[in-house]
Amino acid sequence: MRAETLKGHLDGLILAVLETEPAHGYAIIERLKQRSGGALALPEGTVYPALHRLEAAGLLSSSWSDGSRRRRVYRLTRSGRRELAGRRGEWKAFANVMEAVLA
Amino acid sequence: MSYRDELGRELARAGIGGRLRRRIVAEISDHLSCDPNADLGPAQDLARRFADELGTVRARRAAYAGFAALAVAGSLVVAVFAATGQAQIALPKVHAPSQLLFDLGMALTALGGQIAMAAGVLAALRALRRRDAQVVARDEAIVMRRRTAVALLAGLVCMSGVALIASEANHAVGWWRTFGLASSAAGACAIVAALIPLSSALEVLPIAGGPRGDMFDDFGWLTPPPLRGRPWIVALLLSGGIVVILAAAGIVQGDPYDGALRGVLDGLACVAGFALLGSYLGLRPTRA
Repeated sequence: MRAETLKGHLDGLILAVLETEPAHGYAIIERLKQRSGGALALPEGTVYPALHRLEAAGLLSSSWSDGSRRRRVYRLTRSGRRELAGRRGEWKAFANVMEAVLA
Repeated sequence: MSYRDELGRELARAGIGGRLRRRIVAEISDHLSCDPNADLGPAQDLARRFADELGTVRARRAAYAGFAALAVAGSLVVAVFAATGQAQIALPKVHAPSQLLFDLGMALTALGGQIAMAAGVLAALRALRRRDAQVVARDEAIVMRRRTAVALLAGLVCMSGVALIASEANHAVGWWRTFGLASSAAGACAIVAALIPLSSALEVLPIAGGPRGDMFDDFGWLTPPPLRGRPWIVALLLSGGIVVILAAAGIVQGDPYDGALRGVLDGLACVAGFALLGSYLGLRPTRA
């Protein structure tokens, strides 16, 4: 899938893969690849600035992990969960409309 | 030079330093240790992306936080002045130990309050208007930061004015003086708390180019088409409106001379404020 197609959806995708459990940057990118069956091959350089931006917007929080390797682990905040629910609703409405028109 | 070193250098060139730069470099280093062949793109592009996205969201957040803090502080000031009736105080006619300090307090409260309200509303308006933008132009972010900073500074001036009034009005009932001092302290605390997101916004600035926008971009829909692009005419009309409203209020309150005087002073202050801060705060279409 082309990066251009994903434009505008990256934030929602990141929030979605963090819904179940916290993760560090590399794991987030891997989850995106896995959950899309490899179709979402994002330019990796776009993910980290987006993580910082979402954190600054209060949708994610982060902390250094305590493990042997020092990693920044991101998790959804309450606002992030609300935002994700909103984006899901918008996406479903949009997908239904597109399906109705294109099918 | 390793990618890590190059990124550190490019982040510094993009204006990102200190703890934030160390954190970004640590995260990217961790990513590269997981996948040494990761395609993160040129270090310069990555650094610019960080600056653009973080600079945008932080400037916007600072504007919102500043507006919220000023709303709290403003409500407290209104409450203090509204309580003068119950406390049987007839401001500004109060016998103070130092009439000069009392008058200074009144002037600081009026001037600081009005500048804080105007700049704070403008900052929040710009942040709200650009709420969906992932990246705003560098000059736009500068305008948002300036408006927030001026609003918070003026808010602190206003709070110090309220404290001065309360401390000098020693003929007033005790509870009102306590209320005034406590309110000014609480308002100042709220404003100081909003300095934290502002300082965070000052750490990083977008690099993206683009127009900084002016007052017509911010609330052009409120401006009749013949006035668009004519900021001075708008400022003069606004000042004239203030004169008329305050003069009318004076007539209603049975003191037309006082109302007219306050109207003229406020109108002149509005024009002076526009002349001094109009360009700095991005109201007039000149360079940031």
